[in-house]
Amino acid sequence: MAEPYLVVEHLTKVYERGHVVALKDVSFEVQKGEFLVIIGLSGSGKSTLLRCINRLIEPTKGRIFIDGVEITKLSPRQMRKFRRKIGMIFQHFNLIKRATVMTNVLTGRLGYNPTWRTLLGLFPRSDRELALKNLERVGLLEKAYVRADELSGGQQQRVGIARALMQQPELLLADEPVSALDPATSHSVMQYIEQMNREDGVTVLASLHFLSLARRYGTRIIALKDGELVFDGLPEEIDDRKFKEIYGEEAEEVEVR
Amino acid sequence: MARMLPAKVERGRFRRRLIALFLDWMSWGYVAYGVMYFLNDYWWRIPLERFYSTLTLPPWGWPAAVLGTLAMAVVCELTGYSLGERALKLERKRERPLTKEELLRGRAAGKPFWRTQWGIMAVLLLALTVALGWHIVKIDPEALIHPSPRAREMLSEIFPPDFRHFRVPDPAFELRGLPYSILDLMVLTIFMALLATVLGAAVALPLSFLGARNIMGFSPAGWLVYGVVRGFFNIFRSIETMLWAVVFAIWIRWGSPLAGIMALTVHTIAALGKLYSEQVEGIDPGPVEAVVAAGGSRAEVIRYAVLPQVIPSFWAFTLYRWDINVRMSTVIALVGGGGIGDMLFYYKNEGKWALLGAVVITIVAVVWAMDYLSGRLRERIT
Amino acid sequence: MPPGYPEAYLKGKPRWMSLDAVADFFYFGFRNLRKQLSIAVLDMGAVAVLWLLMNYVIIRLSTGQIGYTLVPWWIFGVGVVEAAALWESFGRSFGHRVARLELRRTDGREPTLKQKVLYWLLWHVSVLPLFPLLLVPSPHERGSGLELRPFTMEGRVPRPWWRTSTGIYVAWLMGVALTAAISVTVSWEDLVRLFTKAGTTAKFWRSFFSPDTSIILKTIRELIVTVFMAMTATSFAVLVAVPLSFLAARNLMRGVVGRFIYTVIRVTMSIIRSIEPVVWAIFFLVWVRVELAPFAGVLALFVHSVSDLTKLYAERLESIDPGLIEAIAATGANRLQILRYAVIPQIVNPYISFTLYRWDINIRMATVVGVVGGGGIGQALFFYLTGNLWQQAGTVMLFIIALVWGIDYLSARLRAKLA
Repeated sequence: MAEPYLVVEHLTKVYERGHVVALKDVSFEVQKGEFLVIIGLSGSGKSTLLRCINRLIEPTKGRIFIDGVEITKLSPRQMRKFRRKIGMIFQHFNLIKRATVMTNVLTGRLGYNPTWRTLLGLFPRSDRELALKNLERVGLLEKAYVRADELSGGQQQRVGIARALMQQPELLLADEPVSALDPATSHSVMQYIEQMNREDGVTVLASLHFLSLARRYGTRIIALKDGELVFDGLPEEIDDRKFKEIYGEEAEEVEVR
Repeated sequence: MARMLPAKVERGRFRRRLIALFLDWMSWGYVAYGVMYFLNDYWWRIPLERFYSTLTLPPWGWPAAVLGTLAMAVVCELTGYSLGERALKLERKRERPLTKEELLRGRAAGKPFWRTQWGIMAVLLLALTVALGWHIVKIDPEALIHPSPRAREMLSEIFPPDFRHFRVPDPAFELRGLPYSILDLMVLTIFMALLATVLGAAVALPLSFLGARNIMGFSPAGWLVYGVVRGFFNIFRSIETMLWAVVFAIWIRWGSPLAGIMALTVHTIAALGKLYSEQVEGIDPGPVEAVVAAGGSRAEVIRYAVLPQVIPSFWAFTLYRWDINVRMSTVIALVGGGGIGDMLFYYKNEGKWALLGAVVITIVAVVWAMDYLSGRLRERIT
Repeated sequence: MPPGYPEAYLKGKPRWMSLDAVADFFYFGFRNLRKQLSIAVLDMGAVAVLWLLMNYVIIRLSTGQIGYTLVPWWIFGVGVVEAAALWESFGRSFGHRVARLELRRTDGREPTLKQKVLYWLLWHVSVLPLFPLLLVPSPHERGSGLELRPFTMEGRVPRPWWRTSTGIYVAWLMGVALTAAISVTVSWEDLVRLFTKAGTTAKFWRSFFSPDTSIILKTIRELIVTVFMAMTATSFAVLVAVPLSFLAARNLMRGVVGRFIYTVIRVTMSIIRSIEPVVWAIFFLVWVRVELAPFAGVLALFVHSVSDLTKLYAERLESIDPGLIEAIAATGANRLQILRYAVIPQIVNPYISFTLYRWDINIRMATVVGVVGGGGIGQALFFYLTGNLWQQAGTVMLFIIALVWGIDYLSARLRAKLA
């Protein structure tokens, strides 16, 4: 069996001197090219887990290896360089509202260009061509110079995807990418992510709210409850009992068609 | 072929072009003023009436200036993308599709702004403003770096500050026959602000309902009252507290705390009235609808639908005003309003800098404390 | 969950002598100390203020003098402390309301009278020496079986304000304060003059409708000077305040050095802001030569504007959306790039809006600064008013009203377009 691409070992995140435990001893592995879905109730630690992987949040304890490199040991500068290969998309899109779509997408190349160039907004021609290509790929080429906050939710998330694509990432972290969208748009956005996973070979870690979406798009599922890992396996393996374990006794499944 | 736009849009566009022309005309008028000012100052120097130096012109001057600037404005409008048009964003239409090059660059094959007409005009106006400002206001870095001898004396004596008369009155300083220490006068000053704020808020609150469009706008008489009240608010707000203080000081007596209180109150009523009435106008009409539908009278609508929505911001504005009033009351004595400013002025005139320092530090401490408190309270309310 | 570092947590409760346990003791102990002490201090302060004000009123109304004390200091001290203790034990005190807490039994129900008395007596043992408050729960809480819990309205009916102890306190305080204020600031003769001398200023009010046209050109000239004063002061203030605001924002200034710079700048700006532009104008008038009066006014406005703008800008910086910063950081950007792409786009419009607001205020202040000699139209107004030239004063007033109103309207319109 090949070396796993992402290894998380005993990841723990505590706040307030131990009173608040966000993640408790989480360990799992991800192979290259997998589409891993993280499910769980709100507040179970999904967002914290994703942010620990690219060290936007510092883990209190534990180790994370990406492609053989122990990133928990990297200095801030080295980590910044490493982040270029990790793309991230967010629940609330996190775009620069007043800037154009083009500028937003170009910010994906911030890590690849020297500071003086980016401060003046002088991205090289190759970056701009790549931006147009990625915009065409997500179907937003005509909106290239429209202000980002004039787009709909689904379109904004596609801009986020284009931004992540600009990084030419090996790993994509998606923090509840479709929670703020209606069901039809959710599928459309998830399909773009799936396309990234299948055609570009990007390893995807996505946290999702709806189990049906997780079953449909994920190749593997892990579940968090109160910061602990309670399930790690294939989507088919989640039966009613396991479902109630993850979500609690009163939960019922909702279909997102 | 140009598309036919509906008549209303055409009229709107014409009006906007007129406004753009007006703006260009004003910009050229400003340039003309600048030219006249510098000419007057450096060349024509009319000796007696330096006061009028900017606006004295030969008899043919005024019409020439007006027509000349208008002509320049028209020339600008016709020959390029003038400043007025840019300000109103009157776009030039483009019909052909974007080329790949333009798509890459992100600019519709335009010139950089410093080569367009509006860009040059904007830079010119900016430079003129800087030059004019520097000159009119008589900026002199020399004077800043080399203070006057009196200032030097002040700086050397102001540290350490002398708190001798903080609780014990200074026998040399007496207001209306009564000795005051710094503490006493400061307490008096705070009381001035307190009275002004309480009185001002109490009067402004009912008045604000009379100045709110959604309460008054149901009959011609209502509109009249609204207009009068709003006009009153605006006029009385435009005159700063200090100016009111001078008026009241001459009215009552120079140095009377009542003059200060009246000045603060008048300005508070106007300022709070405006803030309150804007709040009342900005409420959610839903609850109002609900109360009216349930059969409530006008007073009941106010009591159950309007008041609950505006009370938190009423408190916030009143606290904000209290903070401002405390600051104002510390200095209002300088124009005859009574309060701790009297002590400030007295020590400054006597040249007793150490005692002055003590007064200033007390004022700073009190104002800072009030500012902090009012800020924290306002955080809690909103 | 037992408190302790993750290591300790993962192995069980820490040994009481380990460094972790001691650090925990002090961490939670100081939190408790701060909570209890702040409540006590607020209550004592509230009682003290009321007491002093009552003394003030009594002394002023009976003797016409100004005084603050009727009893020796030690009686005052004991009285304040006892009043605070009683207030806290037997009701919901002012400090409790500020901290949004209330006293309840450990099982959540209303305290009994016996428990309240115990709490009151043991309060002295806990609070006065201070260090017992480091124990969690403190001796007076442990001994009486009561504790401070967050206050909710669940399962209760609100009481009208006049039946709550804090409500009565506030009403009493306001009454006494207003009485004190009136007794010391308003004198009968002044009130009489207010109502009888109105006639002399009637000429002033009438002049609003019949202005003196001979001074129009002069007034316009002064108006222009005033506008330029405000414009120059605002422009230079913006140049200084924008970089300063980045150094004064808590979320950008982290680390020991950063925090130090932040504190120094914030405190300095607060102090400068507490001194009104008029006082600064007097200061600068002493500093520069007399002919340069408008310059002194500009300097005064500049100094005050810098402090106010820095505060406004920095507060806005502290409340930007952190999500966008996360997103830009996730692409591998360094600090400068994050600043340029995540922070600055969010603050450009608010900054411009604040600048317009400050410009509006500076125009108003420019009219005032002239009154103490700072040049501009205020000086003309002062000259006419003190010279009893009512008609001219009214004319100048008209111009001031027009100017301020116009700028106010313009500034409001522009700010609405930016929002």
